[in-house]
Amino acid sequence: MLGAGRVPQSASMTALWHPAIRADWLVLRRTGPTAWARVLGPPVLLLAGCVALACGDLYAGYGWCLAAGALLALGGSYGIAHQRLLDALERWRFGWCGALPTARGAAVCTSLLLAAAALMTSLAFVAALLFGVSIFALHRGDWFYALAGIDLALVAGTAVVAIRVFRRGALARVHHVDGIREPLLALPWLNDPRLPHLLDWQRRAALVRWRRGGSFAMVGIVLAAVPIGAPMLEVSALVLLVLAWSWLAVVMRASADAFTSSVRLLAAVPWNVRAARMAALRYPLVATSCALVFMVIGTALLRHGMVALVWIVCAGVASAWPLARLVRATRLADPRA
Amino acid sequence: MTGLLRVTKVRVAYGDVCVLDGIDLDIARGEFVALIGPNGAGKTTLLHAIAGIAPLRGGNIDIDGHDLASAPHAAKQAIGLAIDPPNLPALLTGRECLALFAGARGLPAIPPATLALGETLSLTSVLDRRIASYSLGMRQKLGIMLGLLGEPPLLLLDEPFNGLDPRSALAFKSHLAAILTRGGTSVLLATHALDIAERHATRAVLLMDGRVRRAWSAGELAAMRESPERSLERAMAEACGRDRDENLSGPAVDVPL
Repeated sequence: MLGAGRVPQSASMTALWHPAIRADWLVLRRTGPTAWARVLGPPVLLLAGCVALACGDLYAGYGWCLAAGALLALGGSYGIAHQRLLDALERWRFGWCGALPTARGAAVCTSLLLAAAALMTSLAFVAALLFGVSIFALHRGDWFYALAGIDLALVAGTAVVAIRVFRRGALARVHHVDGIREPLLALPWLNDPRLPHLLDWQRRAALVRWRRGGSFAMVGIVLAAVPIGAPMLEVSALVLLVLAWSWLAVVMRASADAFTSSVRLLAAVPWNVRAARMAALRYPLVATSCALVFMVIGTALLRHGMVALVWIVCAGVASAWPLARLVRATRLADPRA
Repeated sequence: MTGLLRVTKVRVAYGDVCVLDGIDLDIARGEFVALIGPNGAGKTTLLHAIAGIAPLRGGNIDIDGHDLASAPHAAKQAIGLAIDPPNLPALLTGRECLALFAGARGLPAIPPATLALGETLSLTSVLDRRIASYSLGMRQKLGIMLGLLGEPPLLLLDEPFNGLDPRSALAFKSHLAAILTRGGTSVLLATHALDIAERHATRAVLLMDGRVRRAWSAGELAAMRESPERSLERAMAEACGRDRDENLSGPAVDVPL
């Protein structure tokens, strides 16, 4: 029980807060550090990546890294806010609390307040981080421009999501974004015959997650935000890296989630653990290979060793957590575990 | 009849809550055992413990001569657990899900017997649709097919008739009866449908507060069917009432099976 006795009746709730928010808060508190890491990890990683990019200007004076950091902030904030707001709205609209007589506009108000709180926290975090890293920078006077660029991008990314999500009829369409299409290039040999269709499951879960993150709208926004006069080769390289990185992170997380679900589904079946491990890693490995090709091309076009290194580290960190979950899930698949 | 399942002093707890407290249960080949009891009695947990999903705090489970703790792979070869409808993967089609289970069981393809069961349950026409679009009844049918896939000797069914239309329920009962008549297969059914337990089971076991409180043999169940004054429903109500009285006066005593 989630402290049901303490959750007031929805009729007494104001339009400001959706009644389910208290249950969500209790679940978050009781799940422990893992839940907090899942909630805070992606935005912290994103903001750290933006600041790391801005350091290219603050320390080395490359002259275009501030714009790159802002672009990353724009795309990243859009992706994270889009996925989380859609998830919350779908849960409140179609989940256990969907039939509650909630106050009119409660879901919208709650989402707006949460998004605003997250945005304010992010702005403060970026300011503190940028100030900290620029103390010993050669061009530390530029830290304010970096802050303004990243902050504006974060506000713009979140605002676009708010407009998109709260558009008339957006809620009714939430369920339809999960439509699945077959791959353009069918590769049936990729499926492990010892655990057939696990790869399809992972691929479809990745596609759903990618769409919830804004899919190609994110790319469009990044491209639309490219400043006039920016060197196109380097901007193309950045877009390539942003895409490869975010897609890989999505694939890894979706693969881990799908495999964890399959472990639960097949818990009573005497499956071969070794085969399960190999089958579970096929899609992530293929995806990593593809992403690496794009990352190599991107870093080659960028021609700046330090920035390339930052990207590779960011991609590694972004993939490490879901990969660890995937490996852990394969261990749990072992009936002796 | 030879023994297929032996559950000895099994204890399962979720946190501080003891759900199963020293359960003993034996099932022979060809037996149809109905597990009945009030909500929260531990019926589903017992099925999950036998399937190796719920971790044991104590006791042993032996399936077809294999200890579940030390030889889980061999023990699980002998069981088939019908999957709970909410746990089915929404992103796969019914046929893909069946293929996944067949692959996990080491079968080269979905067995024809499973596809024939799908035909019996009128599920064939929707097998190529995504599970997300299935109704509760369709999901229930698919869960049953997954449990019966590969014809394991011990079927674990948890309220399998929930959501089934009368025609499909009748077809599934006939299918179960045919399997049991062929011999070699046993069924452990957790249910609140006491009429099914009374009419089809060879033994009924009452679970209450995580312990076995009462068992009715095939003879007793047959006597209930023949006498209009007697029924499993009434017998269960009496047993539950007596148990409450015993709980008020002193500790409960396990009924030997």
